[in-house]
Amino acid sequence: MTAADLQLPPLQIEKLPSGLTLLAVQKKGLPLFHVRLSLPAGACEDPRGKAGLAQFTVDLLRRGTRRRPAQDVDEMIESMGAHLYADASMEEAALALTVPAELSDRAVDALFEVALEPAFEDAEVSAARRRSIAALQSDLDEPSTVAGRAVVTLGYGPGHPYAHPAQGFCRDVETFRREDALSFHATRYQQLGALAAVVGQGSPAELLDQLKAKLAQWEPSWPGKSQRIPLQFAGLPPGEGMRAVVIHKPDATQAQVRIVAPGLPRSTPQYAEAVVTNTALGGGFTSLLVDAIRVDRGLSYSVNTRLHMNRRAGLSVFSSFTKNETLRELVDLALEKMRGYARSGPGEDSLEKARRYLAGLFPLGLESHEALAEQIADALLDGLGLEHLTTYRKRVLGVTPAQARTMAGEISPARDGALLIVVGESEAAHKALSGLCPLDLKQLEEFA
Amino acid sequence: MPLSDKDFPVAEHTLPNGLQIRLLEDRSLPVCTVYSFFRVGSRNERPGITGISHLFEHMMFNGSRKYGPKEFDRRLEAAGGSSNAYTSQDLTAYYEDFASEALPLVLDLEADRMASLTIDDTSLARERDVVKEERRFRTDNDIDGMLAEALGALTYLAHPYRWPVIGWMSDIEAITRQDCESYFRTYYAPNNCTLVLVGDFDSKAALKEIQRLYGSIPSGAPPPGVPTGEPPQKGERRAVIRYPSQAPALLAGFRSSDGRDTDSLVLDLIEAALSSGEGARLKRALVYEQELCVDAHVYFGWRMDPGPFEVSLKLNPGVDPARAESALWAELSRIAGERISDRELERAKNLVRSQLLRALSTTNGRAHTIGQMEIMLGSWRSMLDLPDRYAAITAADVQRVAHKTFAPHRRNVVTLFPGEVEA
Repeated sequence: MTAADLQLPPLQIEKLPSGLTLLAVQKKGLPLFHVRLSLPAGACEDPRGKAGLAQFTVDLLRRGTRRRPAQDVDEMIESMGAHLYADASMEEAALALTVPAELSDRAVDALFEVALEPAFEDAEVSAARRRSIAALQSDLDEPSTVAGRAVVTLGYGPGHPYAHPAQGFCRDVETFRREDALSFHATRYQQLGALAAVVGQGSPAELLDQLKAKLAQWEPSWPGKSQRIPLQFAGLPPGEGMRAVVIHKPDATQAQVRIVAPGLPRSTPQYAEAVVTNTALGGGFTSLLVDAIRVDRGLSYSVNTRLHMNRRAGLSVFSSFTKNETLRELVDLALEKMRGYARSGPGEDSLEKARRYLAGLFPLGLESHEALAEQIADALLDGLGLEHLTTYRKRVLGVTPAQARTMAGEISPARDGALLIVVGESEAAHKALSGLCPLDLKQLEEFA
Repeated sequence: MPLSDKDFPVAEHTLPNGLQIRLLEDRSLPVCTVYSFFRVGSRNERPGITGISHLFEHMMFNGSRKYGPKEFDRRLEAAGGSSNAYTSQDLTAYYEDFASEALPLVLDLEADRMASLTIDDTSLARERDVVKEERRFRTDNDIDGMLAEALGALTYLAHPYRWPVIGWMSDIEAITRQDCESYFRTYYAPNNCTLVLVGDFDSKAALKEIQRLYGSIPSGAPPPGVPTGEPPQKGERRAVIRYPSQAPALLAGFRSSDGRDTDSLVLDLIEAALSSGEGARLKRALVYEQELCVDAHVYFGWRMDPGPFEVSLKLNPGVDPARAESALWAELSRIAGERISDRELERAKNLVRSQLLRALSTTNGRAHTIGQMEIMLGSWRSMLDLPDRYAAITAADVQRVAHKTFAPHRRNVVTLFPGEVEA
């Protein structure tokens, strides 16, 4: 495989004095237009005791603006054949629309109106609160969702800005009032640290002009920089041994299993080494763990390891599930394989396979309008630059056995201080895990 | 506005052994997708071996004459590619996304397993365990899966759509190696397959390679027909599930039309009006205004035979399912009883058109759409005039099809109540 740099489509980037970044990308082919707004208003910005406020705020944006009620906002967007993407990740709130090319002006206007002029009417805030609480309770019926919520909550530990799911907890959501959303919006939906992107058929210069012309109408209602308290990111505490948490799900015949350890931030200089080494461990379908757990033993349908790389901290996470009767077999096997991998890293063949797998598939992740905008925006906002994308294949293909060996010890989830999380029937899980490590029992409701 | 075949210069070929080939060059990225669509799904099964189509899909990754066990994905990943597959009621599709230089390898891998798949007891036993875990995950421990399984058995009395694609647990246990071998001979011959290539390749060279690799695989006898009879439904049918959940849930279904029937396009628009987007009727009424549900969603997809139009209600904790059900019937009666406004019809058409365009915006999406059109509608060209066919649908069509589909005697309803089954 050639290690050629990836050629991005024609694009233009401009940073305004306000701190807002503009991005215009030309994509020929289908007559589609995409607009995206990324704002420094992610879940890590949730004030203490208000977990879920970033998500709650972004959900409320479409429930009425200063110009029109919720039903008319839906009509404005969906009459264009579009679905509004509005979501909070750990780092940012993002809104996006994809429309037929001829509707590009209407799409940009709609997106800015929703993002910058929300009404946050009392009745809508109260209704959104009731909906969020119902959804959080409902989520408890999905064992994999509960496991995911437990991973971030317990993996980062108390007090860490990343230590809660974006949707928050019922106990916090219950306290949300109009003032909370207003205040969060006023202080986090600012130009500094935000990025507006458009992807369409026109030249980058034309697209940028179009975006700027539209922006001029919205600038007055968009604060440049607001007072914000800087977040405190303490290092994750080093742990000793392993501990386990069982979350009781009545009647479950299958246990969801997660093994979590501190990982790396997205800004790590060893990004390529980390991604390649994780792929060989549990990323691809022929990885060490899939081979051992699924292919050789038939213990599970799904096995993987993922690097949860946020901007300032991350986690390494093993995920799988198996019937109650084979829970211990799966956990023992996963730990044995991951501990061995942490010591010796991938073999030459596995490493080569992982490198080529990642390099070969990478262009597919930049194919759609949405993916182009998101990937480039994230690379810019994370401070990694376009080189993060254009040199990705070369960097991945250049990872050496020695680098992978060193990295294996850093990304394997089975390390000292690892946390085993099991969502399943507690009696069966207790019995299965007997003697493995100290074990706590938690109730499902703690994760709502 | 129709899609132009200038934008989709698909080359069509059929080998003497019956293998259909569709090639679409696109040199914009150094990647390709190959899809192999087999005209077989759970509708081709019979009681006793339900789930064999899906189990067999797993078996297709366990080695063949040239590439032994574990080799398929190892070779593919080492060449910069990945594979996956899915089984539906009507078809089984295998695909590979990969760096374009791996095309010869991918074709060799696919042709080799079509020509000489290895089916042994050891790999069958392992895959059986994996599939049982998949079933526990998707059905036995999943509310949507439980409801869907119960609804299928309620909506169909005679047709194979009655059983779940993953199969009944006891059937998954019972399927034998001989069943798999017979299944392979019957359904995995080249004359039952459409091969689709999209991406960065040269059509002439690719066709030559396909002829070389697939040309000598013998065609099979035409697969047996499917028992498609289903007696007319003469009254509402109901089922109840008790499960320790946080909230009740409801899944309602109506047997509707098959994918080639124009009424299915009308049902696509009805789906968009009822549940696509936050302003859709069911979401607005049941989620936002009446606050009965966390989510209200329609599942409707084209099927070979008359398929179900399903509405899923995920209720708020504590809501009486009867109230949510009444609200649902009210909305379905409204779309059947009152003519939809021009504005709302236009919204539905725009949403459906955009969905089609978005599906065509990736290499994999184009390959999948071409193959799906071939299998479900008989020709990939059907996608070109789909926008015009949707555009021609009138408000009267919507009312007529809604009236016919949502008649009360055609209802099938599964309700899940939180609680335990009494011993």
